[in-house]
Amino acid sequence: MDPAAAINLGEIRGTLADIAAKLGYRGALSPELRLVEDLRLDSVGILTLAVEVEDRFRVCLDAADEAAIRTIGDLERILRAKLEA
Amino acid sequence: MRDALGGWLERAARRGDRGITFVDRRERERVVSWAELVARAERVAGGLRELGVTAGDRIALAFPTGEGFLAAFLGALAAGAAPAPLPPPSRLGNLEEQQRRLAAMVEAAAPRLVLADAALLPLLREPLQGRRRDSAALHPALDPLPLEALPSGTAGAVDVDEATLGLVQFSSGTTGAPKPVALSRRALAVQARLINALWPDANGTSRDGAGATGDGGAIFEPTAQRGFSWLPLHHDMGLVGCVLPALERPADLVLLPPEAFVAKPALWLRGIARARATVSPAPNFAFARALRRVRDEELAGVDLSCWRHALCGAEAVSPQTLDEFARRFARWGFRRQALTPVYGLAEAGLAVTFGALDAPFTVGRFERRALLAGRAVADPDGREIAGVGLPLPGFSVAARDDAGRDLPAGRVGTIWVRGPSLMDGYLGDPAATAQALRDGWLDTGDLGLLDARGELFLVGRAKDLVIVRGRNHAPEEIEEAVAAVAGVRPGGVAAVGWLPERAAEEELLLLVERTRGDAVDGVAALARACRDAVRAAVGVEAGRVAVLAPGALPRTSSGKLRRAEALRRFLSGELAGVDGGTGAPSQAGSAESG
Repeated sequence: MDPAAAINLGEIRGTLADIAAKLGYRGALSPELRLVEDLRLDSVGILTLAVEVEDRFRVCLDAADEAAIRTIGDLERILRAKLEA
Repeated sequence: MRDALGGWLERAARRGDRGITFVDRRERERVVSWAELVARAERVAGGLRELGVTAGDRIALAFPTGEGFLAAFLGALAAGAAPAPLPPPSRLGNLEEQQRRLAAMVEAAAPRLVLADAALLPLLREPLQGRRRDSAALHPALDPLPLEALPSGTAGAVDVDEATLGLVQFSSGTTGAPKPVALSRRALAVQARLINALWPDANGTSRDGAGATGDGGAIFEPTAQRGFSWLPLHHDMGLVGCVLPALERPADLVLLPPEAFVAKPALWLRGIARARATVSPAPNFAFARALRRVRDEELAGVDLSCWRHALCGAEAVSPQTLDEFARRFARWGFRRQALTPVYGLAEAGLAVTFGALDAPFTVGRFERRALLAGRAVADPDGREIAGVGLPLPGFSVAARDDAGRDLPAGRVGTIWVRGPSLMDGYLGDPAATAQALRDGWLDTGDLGLLDARGELFLVGRAKDLVIVRGRNHAPEEIEEAVAAVAGVRPGGVAAVGWLPERAAEEELLLLVERTRGDAVDGVAALARACRDAVRAAVGVEAGRVAVLAPGALPRTSSGKLRRAEALRRFLSGELAGVDGGTGAPSQAGSAESG
């Protein structure tokens, strides 16, 4: 992994942790954590997460992106692809 | 032949000065005039006609809030077809579960065509593949069609009458048995007119004399009605309650996507102030959410004094929530008299009763034990219930006992409704229709009482339905998820929706029988596992989980769960908990509160 990407990922993780904390998640974020089962987000929580992510990262998640997001890792991967594009 | 809806479309086509404003969550606005909207709708109608759509045909719609939805919806109406709006797959949700629900809805609506937003096509194709292959579908395997792909055709007069099917409205977002409510074009027109007749027109007169009453007239110059709604457009309160009345005038209407409200409730209040909106309806949970989530600093410069009618309906109304809402937002000019509890249901077209406008909402206080026994006894320290008002013109409301006999004022019974906009029935389900409609009356499945003035007070639900955050869930889908949890007795789960006293909004209560012989100290873990299962399956957080002894839930002689009775017993402390005591709300040993 090149250094730029590593920094990028660190920032993404930090911002996601911030959002997750706002949504009531207490604990460290790791890629394998599932949004519903592990972060315990209900439908309103999921929606708030999506909107916060779009606002904080200034990206737009489309329907196809969202269909592929189950875990923090999925979200990070899609965000990185979008931010590097 | 042209009916009322056709006439409204023609009239709206000439209004370039009023229209719909679409606001996004960054508060950017896009105004589309009625003239532009109807022109787009006419193109859609031409395309539909070209494909062979005729009067009364069902057209399923899957669109987010936006111009596309309006073009498709009005286009279907212009073509004489009946739109069947589906909930668009929502963000990051449980996609399989949403797709399963969509497929079931399409199956039930049996549309000739599915029109969809281009961005949603990838999510829709798979669940709709092969659905209704045997039906009169105009498109192979009901492949959803974006508006852009419709052929061009010529618009023209359609032969419809008021009895033609006008809308298929899904009454609950259930997995197993979606209930498609069939409403005629007459029912839609009646509802739009009734709602508009409630408040003064642009020129200050109301058409039937109702509405221009109270002290409001002295405070307000009569202004044009301006609606603001973030309600989903596939929901009757958003569609029949906001879009159709705006079309009938035609009036200005501002629409915000529901997900924008949910993520940032301040957008609702700010949007009303910016638009100088006069009417904005919402379910009770929205008022509770705004109270909890809107920060003072988000309302800098906001003036809510324009908000003349804050209608609250679609689920049980919490007097505490409305009261706190009025107190908290008074600082920003919000008027308590604006709060108006209302009652309605898709099966009645929508609205049935309305609280008094421009007046403080009514609160009844009822002695608890008597109320559980079905009688209203005034008690200043009793359970507070918001009155939802009197029947709209042309409607009658009755409380009846189990044998179908009318009960006198002050007695709790099942609420039956008669009126000019009742559904024709559940589409393709004569058995369910026969159960709901009898001799021109609709069994609402709600429990309530009428006071001496005829004002309706709702005390609970006889029908098996859980409403959380304004969304309907079949208890079965929740119970199915819980039943899969280890330690839960097979068939021993009841999911019940209720409004706990002094709670801000309706909650989901899980009554769970555990298997025999398990250790009592596992109760908390079992409750937590049940919560997790429900959240994963339907995206809802259970308000309370009560773990019960095996066999504690009441059943009919044939073994069917009696959910309303289970709730009644829970409330009166008659359910056996695992600790040998009861599962009553006060007993912390077996009831875990969230």
